[in-house]
Amino acid sequence: MQIQGLVDVAVSEVGRVLLGKEAQIRLALCCLFARGHLLIEDLPGMGKTTLSHALADVLGLSYKRVQFTSDLLPADILGVSIYNRNDASFTFHPGPIFTQLLLADEINRTTPRTQSALLEAMAEGQVTVEGETRALPEPFFVIATQNPIHQSGTYPLPESQLDRFLMRLELGYPHPVAEREMFQRKALSGRDSQRPGQCISAAQLQQIREAVAGVHTSDSLLDYLQRLVAYTREAPEFAVGLSPRGALALLDCARTWAVMHNRGHVVPEDLQMVLPAVVAHRLVPSGDFSGDGMALVMQMQRKVDVIRP
Amino acid sequence: MKVDEQIPRNALVWIMLGMAALLAPHLGRLPIWVLVVYIACALWRLQIFRGAWHFPRRLVKLGLIAMAGTGIWLSYGSLLGLEPTVALLLTAYAMKLLELARRQDAYVLLFLGYFICITEFLFTQDLLVVLYSLATVWLVTAALVALHQGVQEHFRFGPLRQSGVMLAQAFPLMLVLFFLFPRIGPLWTVPVKTHAARTGVSDNMSPGSISSLSKSDEVAFRVSFEGEIPPRANLYWRGLVMSRLQQGTWSAFNYYDVPAAERRAAEVATEGEPLRYSVLMMPTQQNWLYSLRYAESSQAGIMQAPDFRLFRPVEIEEQYRYQVRSWPQAALEPVLSDWRRLAELRLPDSENPRTRALALQLREEAGSDAGLVEAVLARFREESFVYTLQPPLLGENATDQFLFETRRGFCEHYASAFVTLMRAGGVPARVVAGYQGGEVNPVNRTVIVHQFDAHAWAEVWLEGEGWRRVDPTAAVSPSRIEQGLEQALAGEGSFLADSPLSPLRYRRVDWINSLRLRYDALTYRWQSWVVGFNSENQLQLLQRYLGELTAQKFVLILLGSGLLVLLPLAAWLLRQRGGATLDGLSREYLAFCAQLARRGVERAPGEGPRDFARRVAAALPAHAEVVAEVTGLYENAQYAASRDSRRDAAQRIRRSRRRLR
Repeated sequence: MQIQGLVDVAVSEVGRVLLGKEAQIRLALCCLFARGHLLIEDLPGMGKTTLSHALADVLGLSYKRVQFTSDLLPADILGVSIYNRNDASFTFHPGPIFTQLLLADEINRTTPRTQSALLEAMAEGQVTVEGETRALPEPFFVIATQNPIHQSGTYPLPESQLDRFLMRLELGYPHPVAEREMFQRKALSGRDSQRPGQCISAAQLQQIREAVAGVHTSDSLLDYLQRLVAYTREAPEFAVGLSPRGALALLDCARTWAVMHNRGHVVPEDLQMVLPAVVAHRLVPSGDFSGDGMALVMQMQRKVDVIRP
Repeated sequence: MKVDEQIPRNALVWIMLGMAALLAPHLGRLPIWVLVVYIACALWRLQIFRGAWHFPRRLVKLGLIAMAGTGIWLSYGSLLGLEPTVALLLTAYAMKLLELARRQDAYVLLFLGYFICITEFLFTQDLLVVLYSLATVWLVTAALVALHQGVQEHFRFGPLRQSGVMLAQAFPLMLVLFFLFPRIGPLWTVPVKTHAARTGVSDNMSPGSISSLSKSDEVAFRVSFEGEIPPRANLYWRGLVMSRLQQGTWSAFNYYDVPAAERRAAEVATEGEPLRYSVLMMPTQQNWLYSLRYAESSQAGIMQAPDFRLFRPVEIEEQYRYQVRSWPQAALEPVLSDWRRLAELRLPDSENPRTRALALQLREEAGSDAGLVEAVLARFREESFVYTLQPPLLGENATDQFLFETRRGFCEHYASAFVTLMRAGGVPARVVAGYQGGEVNPVNRTVIVHQFDAHAWAEVWLEGEGWRRVDPTAAVSPSRIEQGLEQALAGEGSFLADSPLSPLRYRRVDWINSLRLRYDALTYRWQSWVVGFNSENQLQLLQRYLGELTAQKFVLILLGSGLLVLLPLAAWLLRQRGGATLDGLSREYLAFCAQLARRGVERAPGEGPRDFARRVAAALPAHAEVVAEVTGLYENAQYAASRDSRRDAAQRIRRSRRRLR
């Protein structure tokens, strides 16, 4: 199976609805292939929901969406048992979390209590309601979105919770050419583009994951990874270095990235491609550093030599 | 107590193992109660560890110290001397366990352990003991390593591995220090081993006072001949010449017993090629040396006595090697001075009347001095004299009793009786004590002389011939001389009766014997090259390779070779610590990058090979092909799972990048 071809088809299929965002689509797919959860952070109306919905369609996953509000309770996500008068017993009504792809829209609008209920389910792959543990479907992905401005009345995720997301993406404004095409399409047909069809079956998804397990990771690459990690821990610009979980996430994504490009081994460029998405939200700049997480990532990528120890 | 002052549990185990290993070789010399002290202290310490008991209070400790001192005093009769002090040290070491509360106490204990390890060498420097001590050092170092591991860890063998590595790293430095560190004379002297029984030859001889001669299988000395080894019947190693008989005891003249004019040995006419050999002697705490008859040594510090034996004014307290030349055929003192003649004829008055009468009678019958010798030997041979190591005790007039009544004895009895007869018959004669024979080790062609080869024989002075060696024991028991003690005692079963485990007893078993001889050959090397490496040898060795030696040169060489040994080790350690270094493949690739940098395209540090190749291909399209090739080779060898040799890839990159020039 040509995985790269498969991925290319999926990317272009999603690209039909989300124009000009090929790199982000690829990273999002990479994140899902690597069994990670995705955090999309951007302004409203940038296509966050479109992307997540399209991803679910392309992978043929069941899809649910929860709009997080300040009065949302854990039971609203996980489900609740209701007394049934007919057979005189409690019946569990599963919440929206029992799906394969969950879009948690504006996760920072809800209380930490509800956030943590979701994050726990993300980490464990199961939920416990009223003493009974129920497994979530497999695969189970969460795409959470977060609004970076209008922070009044929000509960921003702390760094420790951010660490649970494998990647964080920013979509950004579309390229003028892509935006123009979007306008034209609307003007011509009078409606939005059609929903994308399924490109990757469950079996193919499984195959991709198996291929990732068989990817060769050389010592030289691990050396480079370790140099990167060591840099975040030693350089003065960083208040907090990269955790081992972060380093493992980086490696996982790089391996998946290599597979997505039909390669049986990981090259430094793979690491560098996934580096900003995987690492930026895990890094905290120290007080002296003027830039944000992304600037830090750029700096570490520039400073750490790929070949020379 | 702070956590970092605690002694980890597994370190305690290692410490106790180390202490047991340190104690073990001393056990044979220590009174049994010291072992009891060790066990008690270890149990006490374990109970403290379990929280059941407490550390002893100061008063209890004082009591224990006093008891230990008293115990040593009672066991040895003294607190001074080598053995009591070592025993005291070992006892104190056991009780130090009861003060083992903090980490710094453990340091004291372990560093003291290294010192205790050395004390074993005051008693023996055998090769096996050295190997054992190395193992002990390993164990003690492991305890030291374990002391630096976490408090909660389980017992594991990691420290053993780590300390092994540390000792291996120290090995080159050990060699440098061994060969180059100046051997300064001792700043203090260790008291002589008062309790070590002296076996072998002693400075006097009184046959009749010993009823059972126990002979040990210790090695007295080893000899290596430059040429052929003479037959064993001719190997009479002269040590001591006893000319003086007083109250039934033979003894040698001391230096000042001899009149000044007689203190120099007479000139000896030496002809022909001498036997050349070197003797490696074990310490005897005496000062005479062993050699074949008429021996000369040009070695400094060796002197010749007027009775033609060699001696060293300094007692031999450590093993000693000397070179000797011998002319066995040379005539000794063909002309006897008056003083010497009188001295060698003197017998105590009124002792042994029957012997005197017999001597006069035999002399008369024989008609000449040489005839008297023959007659006496014939008498020993023909009458019912028995060679035995268990003779009856003799009273007054011992020689009379021996010659006419008991007729049982060993070499000393025969030598003494023979010399007495000679002197009574008017022939100058004296007793010579030393060793006879020895075992030839076929492995390295050395002659091993054991303590049980100790022997006594006689020398008689004959007109015109000088001193002649006569061995009356040979007349009684020819096999003692020709085949050795073991054969001579075949019927009696008393050969090495005291040492049932001595490998010498099992000489008949081929493989044990060959193992024993091989080990002895190894010991010989060890003794001569390592134990015998003294300041003299060191100086010789250095001068041979480095010419004249000045103090500055010596220091420079010592420091220089120390550096030479330590630098590679330090470099290696730094490499280990620095993580991965640049391999040949990466060096090749970086050289390629440098070539491109000269052409204006420089790789940024964070730029991967693929990205760089893409950029170069855009900037220098002429080289796109080479760049693609090198990048492919590099990626394949460095990042892919390809089984191609990296060295091969490096060479191919080298070849490819030539095209860039």
